[in-house]
Amino acid sequence: MTVFILQRLWFMVITLFVMATVMFLLFRLLPGDPTATVISSALQPEAQAALRASFGLDKPLWQQYLNYMVNMAQLDFGFSFHTSRPVAEMIGGRLLNTLALLLPSLVAAYLVGALIGAFIAWRRGGWLDTVCVVLATALQSAPVFWVGMMAILFFSLKLDLFPVGHIITPGREMLPGLAGYLDADVLHHLALPFLVTFSYQLCFPLLLMRTSMLSTIGEDFIDLARMKGLSERKVMLRHAMRNALLPLATTLPMLLGWAVAGSVVIETVFSWPGLGQLMVSAVERNDYPVVQACFLLSAFLTVMGTFVADLLYGLLDPRIVYE
Amino acid sequence: MLEAIGLAKTYHSPVGLNFGRNRPPPVHAVRNASFTVAPGKVLGIIGQSGSGKSTLGRLLVGLEPATSGRVTIEGQDASALLAQDRKAFYRRVQMVFQDPYGSINPQHDVLETVTRPLRYQGQAAGPALRQRAIDVLERVGLRPAERYLQTHPHRLSGGQRQRLCIARAIIMEPRYLVADEPISMLDVSIKWDIIRLLKRLVNEQGLALVYITHDLATVRTLCHEVAIMLAGEIVESGPVDVVLDAPRHAYTQALIAACPSADLTLRGLPVGLEPV
Amino acid sequence: MRALWTAILQFLRVVTATPVGRIALGICVACAVLAVFAPWLAPFDPMQKHYDGAGKLLRIADPSFKHWLGTTSLGRDVLSQMIWGVRPAMLVGLVVALGSAVIGANIGLLAGYFGGRSDNLLMRFTDIVMGVPFLPFVIVMLSVFGKDLGSLMLAMTLIMWRASARIVRAQVLSLKQMPFVAAARITGASDLAILYREIAPNIVPLAMVNMAFALAWAITTEASIGFLGFGDPNVISWGSIIYDAFASQAMYRAPWWVAPPGFAIMLLVSAVYLVGREYERVINPRLAGP
Repeated sequence: MTVFILQRLWFMVITLFVMATVMFLLFRLLPGDPTATVISSALQPEAQAALRASFGLDKPLWQQYLNYMVNMAQLDFGFSFHTSRPVAEMIGGRLLNTLALLLPSLVAAYLVGALIGAFIAWRRGGWLDTVCVVLATALQSAPVFWVGMMAILFFSLKLDLFPVGHIITPGREMLPGLAGYLDADVLHHLALPFLVTFSYQLCFPLLLMRTSMLSTIGEDFIDLARMKGLSERKVMLRHAMRNALLPLATTLPMLLGWAVAGSVVIETVFSWPGLGQLMVSAVERNDYPVVQACFLLSAFLTVMGTFVADLLYGLLDPRIVYE
Repeated sequence: MLEAIGLAKTYHSPVGLNFGRNRPPPVHAVRNASFTVAPGKVLGIIGQSGSGKSTLGRLLVGLEPATSGRVTIEGQDASALLAQDRKAFYRRVQMVFQDPYGSINPQHDVLETVTRPLRYQGQAAGPALRQRAIDVLERVGLRPAERYLQTHPHRLSGGQRQRLCIARAIIMEPRYLVADEPISMLDVSIKWDIIRLLKRLVNEQGLALVYITHDLATVRTLCHEVAIMLAGEIVESGPVDVVLDAPRHAYTQALIAACPSADLTLRGLPVGLEPV
Repeated sequence: MRALWTAILQFLRVVTATPVGRIALGICVACAVLAVFAPWLAPFDPMQKHYDGAGKLLRIADPSFKHWLGTTSLGRDVLSQMIWGVRPAMLVGLVVALGSAVIGANIGLLAGYFGGRSDNLLMRFTDIVMGVPFLPFVIVMLSVFGKDLGSLMLAMTLIMWRASARIVRAQVLSLKQMPFVAAARITGASDLAILYREIAPNIVPLAMVNMAFALAWAITTEASIGFLGFGDPNVISWGSIIYDAFASQAMYRAPWWVAPPGFAIMLLVSAVYLVGREYERVINPRLAGP
């Protein structure tokens, strides 16, 4: 098992390394000068050169690369073109905000989706099944940002149940660290984006679990369990669900990728100050160091999530550990 | 004449994460197999599952390289021939596989299946090729051939499929044919049809046939000589009547005792099933 | 290739067998037709600004007989924009789905058949690409190469082949063991001939299923990019309509501007997804286990 974990960790490191390299190349080999927005050509040549030196852009490419990788390893993402503040300072809090929205909704979506999917598969047919499948398919296909907007229109504006956006009422300050999320005001702001993300993400586990259960139920060992005299609920939970869960475990990384992508647009709709929203505004301002850092951080989240999923799957199915 | 000289094949398991500790021991699938097959004659290779007979078949046809020993075709080393000109080699040596369901590509119809070998050899599709297909299909008993050409394999019965596989094997007019358990997946009623077909082809074309099987009942009808395989080794060989009537090795004796119909002589066969 | 044609016919036969499949496929075809004939079907030029009787710009007008879905904050006809918006969705969707399907299938074929070191290399590469967060990557590519449809299609295709590659490779691994491959080998055929003449025709149905799901995902992503304002400024897409509505803060006042594009996306993506699922149900026996 340790070999397995080490293998996966090593692979994670390589993946991030490759991605960082690709980012480096992308931004350096751009057509045109990426720093043109900051180092305006109206400046004196000496001033331009000085600015360029401070960003390290005057050294040969391989040396820039080395410095870049060393900085990355120390989590030094450089300085924002826009605010001239260190990027690392800007993204720390943002990362937490994104996770505060992403993680609870993902976990809840998986659990609730799997349970509902299992339940409707167990009942096998009927109006509930059809309704759930239609709703889940429609909700999955609808663009999540649009669903968010409709939710705001209805729940925030018409019914006045939730605030329209942001993480906290303007004027108030959020407490640093995890304690900040325990504030009732913050939770009130979190509610609607959480509900929207949750309902979007629950469709896939629901449909997958339903399909998986339907084929598991057809297997002989279920009949055997029934003949042993176990109650319906026990047969469903202990025997059918455990086997039907495997495809959900394998697709967790995929769903994580969807979640990270979804967070970009959801944060934009709700003005939720997370990584995604920062990335979008940074792109609009051509603030490349920030864009790069946001990308690498999302990549880290995705890869980390895959690692955790692999671990869980390895626990569920010992066969793959020894392949 | 096809000759096998000291053929052997050993499989080693991959090294894996344990770096060689606790590796399963190597499998000696074939050990020191030697025999000859002359044109117009049939050699039966008889053994149970795991005796190595299928591996032997694959070695003869060049699907796998031998660990040691060699195969010669008319005196020339087979692996040298293969290395020189694969296509020429496979015009002389062909194989019929055990599984009539898996050995036909489900995407191809009968015409495509039977002409594939010629297509791979460089011949273009066209009326000439089609005629050759019709000829060979008729020879294996799929008549009228025109009706079968556009059919897809999943519509054919097991026996018809195996005839198709035989047609595909002989369309290049090979001199040496290896049949790896060609009837083991067919219904009992169909088995004898295929055996008769093989016997007829051997007589008509002067084929040298290596017939691999675990089914003793068909051996006496088809084969001239037999070799009995046990755990990769040939434990007894000789003319079919000698080996089956007076087995000397204990394993051969046990095999024959276990198979009630091995005792079948020509007189016991149903009418119409005499070798044609 | 004849195998492709047979597969397409089989696909049509399977999907039109059920009412769900027929409706879903009908919606897809309708959208394709709409995309092709948009210039003739749209009542107005989508960029044309409209004025009321007094010469004032017709901003965010309610739906009327002339403007079935009202107007935008710049006085443009929403219905015309909606009709023109099908084009980038279908174009980007189809190009990306096809491109990534072809790339993914080939990588899967080569890796699965040749095995060994090339398989290892290709699969490690695929695993790395798997770790790339899709939408952020597309955004980065657009910020570097410019916000036009071409860059968008390129950026999406560069990543989307990954799922297809893995699935095709898995099927190739099991097909490789089948006797008909051995039967082909003993005709003297080269490895590449066997790979593309014997094995490839058998993976086409599965590749097509993946393509359907890729199409659904591509349309969604194209809409997301449009919504974020990173779409081609010269192109009207459903996402960009929502972006305009969002940017002008008019979503509070004009549900008829904001709702239709979302419904349209939902409808088209569901239709594509259902087509894919109908086809998958027939050609891919589902197994519960790994």
